[in-house]
Amino acid sequence: MEMHLAEAPGSVKVTEWQQSYYGTDSGIQSGATTVRSDEDGTEYSTKKFTYSSTFKENPADVESQYNMTRAQRIRAAMFPETVMEGTAVLSTQMDLSQQTNVQKLAEPSQQLKAAIIHLINYQDDAELATRAIPELTKLLNDEDQVVVNKAAMIVNQLTRKEASRRALMQSPQMVAAVVRAMQNTSDMETTRATASILHNLSHQREGLLAIFKSGGIPALVRMLSSPMDSVLFYAITTLHNLLLHQEGAKMAVRLADGLQRMVPLLKKSNQKFLAITTDCLQLLSYGNQESKLIILANGGPEGLVNIMRTYSYEKLLWTTSRVLKVLSVCPSNKPAIVDAGGMQALGKHLNGSSQRLTQNCLWTLRNLSDAATKQDGMENLLQVLVGLLSSDDINMLTCATGILSNLTCNNTRNKTQVTQSNGVEALIHTILRAGSKQDVIEPAVCALRHLTSRHPEAETAQNAVRMYYGIPAIVKLLNQPYYWPVIKAVVGLIRNLALCPANQTPLRDAEAIPKLVTLLTKAHQDAQKHGSSAQQTYQDGVKMEEIVEGSTGALQIMARDPVNKVTIASMDTIPLFVQLLYSPLDNVKRVAAGALCELALDKQSAEIIDSEGACAPLMELLHSSNEGIATYAAAVLFRISEDKNPDYKKRVSVELTHSLFKHDPAAWEMAHNTMMEPGLPEDELDGYGPVGYQGYDGMHMDSMQLDPEMQEDFVPGMAYNSMHRPYPDY
Amino acid sequence: MNREEAPGKSPEEMYIQQKVRVLLMLKKMGSNLTPNEEAFLRNYAGVVHSQMSQLPQHPIDQGAEDVVMAFSRSETEDRRQ
Repeated sequence: MEMHLAEAPGSVKVTEWQQSYYGTDSGIQSGATTVRSDEDGTEYSTKKFTYSSTFKENPADVESQYNMTRAQRIRAAMFPETVMEGTAVLSTQMDLSQQTNVQKLAEPSQQLKAAIIHLINYQDDAELATRAIPELTKLLNDEDQVVVNKAAMIVNQLTRKEASRRALMQSPQMVAAVVRAMQNTSDMETTRATASILHNLSHQREGLLAIFKSGGIPALVRMLSSPMDSVLFYAITTLHNLLLHQEGAKMAVRLADGLQRMVPLLKKSNQKFLAITTDCLQLLSYGNQESKLIILANGGPEGLVNIMRTYSYEKLLWTTSRVLKVLSVCPSNKPAIVDAGGMQALGKHLNGSSQRLTQNCLWTLRNLSDAATKQDGMENLLQVLVGLLSSDDINMLTCATGILSNLTCNNTRNKTQVTQSNGVEALIHTILRAGSKQDVIEPAVCALRHLTSRHPEAETAQNAVRMYYGIPAIVKLLNQPYYWPVIKAVVGLIRNLALCPANQTPLRDAEAIPKLVTLLTKAHQDAQKHGSSAQQTYQDGVKMEEIVEGSTGALQIMARDPVNKVTIASMDTIPLFVQLLYSPLDNVKRVAAGALCELALDKQSAEIIDSEGACAPLMELLHSSNEGIATYAAAVLFRISEDKNPDYKKRVSVELTHSLFKHDPAAWEMAHNTMMEPGLPEDELDGYGPVGYQGYDGMHMDSMQLDPEMQEDFVPGMAYNSMHRPYPDY
Repeated sequence: MNREEAPGKSPEEMYIQQKVRVLLMLKKMGSNLTPNEEAFLRNYAGVVHSQMSQLPQHPIDQGAEDVVMAFSRSETEDRRQ
């Protein structure tokens, strides 16, 4: 059959096409039979209405009624959709208890009809492919927008049936024509219909491939700017299917600036739409740094955090949390998410019934936590995290301890709040239950270390550790096998615990001292093996010098207890501490000098310190710009010299005074010149130094203050022993 | 350096000032003093008084700083549910 469609008007063309096929009216022109439901925007449903009626009349009329043929009655029963609205179909039923033959046939004939049509659908695939599709393709390419519109409507209908849909997706020309029509039309209905076509085709791989190959992706991305919600929905859903199942789609969407168009859609309020959009963002940004930066540049963090803050639809929250998790490993996105209130928003979803949502939020929070140490408004989150510490889920514990460790880092308010929320007790119980799970223990111990220093409730926390029986468990963590990150955290915690006098005996009873000494000795030996300070030894990512510093610092504070002081000295630690005075690292020097300072309170230890030759390095340390070091060094020297003769004391004083000139070369010069004057009688010198010192101030610790702005005026080499002294040596 | 504080101070005075300051710093840092050292401070209460205002206001030795742990080094594969 030939089709002459070129000149006929649109409706005529469609009519002719229809009549060459099923002989049924699809309703395109007549509007019969089909009803669409757009409530959920996803599926269309078709409802068919049939009716028949029976009635009795007076016999005179019956005669005329019999003029309607049996054929008409059969047709009306079988194809009610062909009966014009309002037509009454007369029945020959005389007795209501007895159905007529036609009535008996009605239902089975309906079933038969459905079966036949079904067969026709599948049987005509080939015909459809060879005949209708090329023609419809031409119609879609027509210049007349009305034609294009009608053709699009028909094709849309066809995509709703599986057989015809398959045929359509096998025609690249057809799919390309749909894509072109969608892009070029200015008619909203056409846009909608063509977007719907692509959406329907995207449920099969063949269709996805056809859309992909026809340049459908850039076209669909453009549709993301449509003012019509239905088009937006078709476009995002189709793109989502492509991203999920079509190889190459991610790259194509990125190239078509898909991210730039998707991120603004986060402002929409349809939650299912948002769920699909956020899932697209996750698919595009996972493992792709550039995509993450594009999302950032287009306000992604704010939009995503706003969703977490606003909605309660679980699937949407879950997909959004997955995007935030992907972005949370990006150093540029992290601060933006935190600044947008991401911590607080994610923290709202840790107590719900959705395990997957809770876990995603926790991973994201943990990733973000090192960028959130200065955030305000963490109260609720901290409270929830402390509560989560009672969980048995290892992932939850890993995250909760890690987040708490970071949020209590250098943050007085957070430390105080966690302490006041029974965080110490919860952390101890976590450590007790964690066994050897280092991913939980390390952050838990770090959190306790933060809580036990540098905030108003530090002492409360130090006491709480003891009260909740934490000390034995914590000291036990120093046992072998050594996991160095945990060791480092534990020695720091022990140091803080020892600040509380009431903890000193329990620490001793738990054998902290021998364990600390063993660690110190081992770490120092390992550090020495590598020779120069430039090569610092790492084990499990921890420098042995850090263990030296930490264990010495813990021993220093423990030495404040009189019994512990004796025990520490008896373990032959003094020679080691004196050696550490030569360390190139200020932190090590400080704790070593501090430990010696405590031990030197005992005369016996003071003598041992002196006999180990500590005076020489201590004299050097008087010149340190670190006021802690200088103070400890001075104190040790005072204590060593307490029982010495006055001349020795004089010398100490002189050396202390010499530290005056560290930042004042002019004063140094003057003092030096004064002392070089010939004929200065020794007996005019009083017991405390040359006359030339008069007119200069006494030693001011201000000159030794650790001021980062202060320039170091002291020239290396101008040490005290380079100065020529006119007074006798001691 | 505060040159105006006491021009012409004797070395003995300077020694006392130095020692007072060191001991006050030790106390500030939480360390213990010997009985002799405590007595020394009592003897030179006047110097103690003048030195107290000159001590640095910030804490001196509070142990190692808090350090954050970096958790976001790598992306974890996400099972699609």
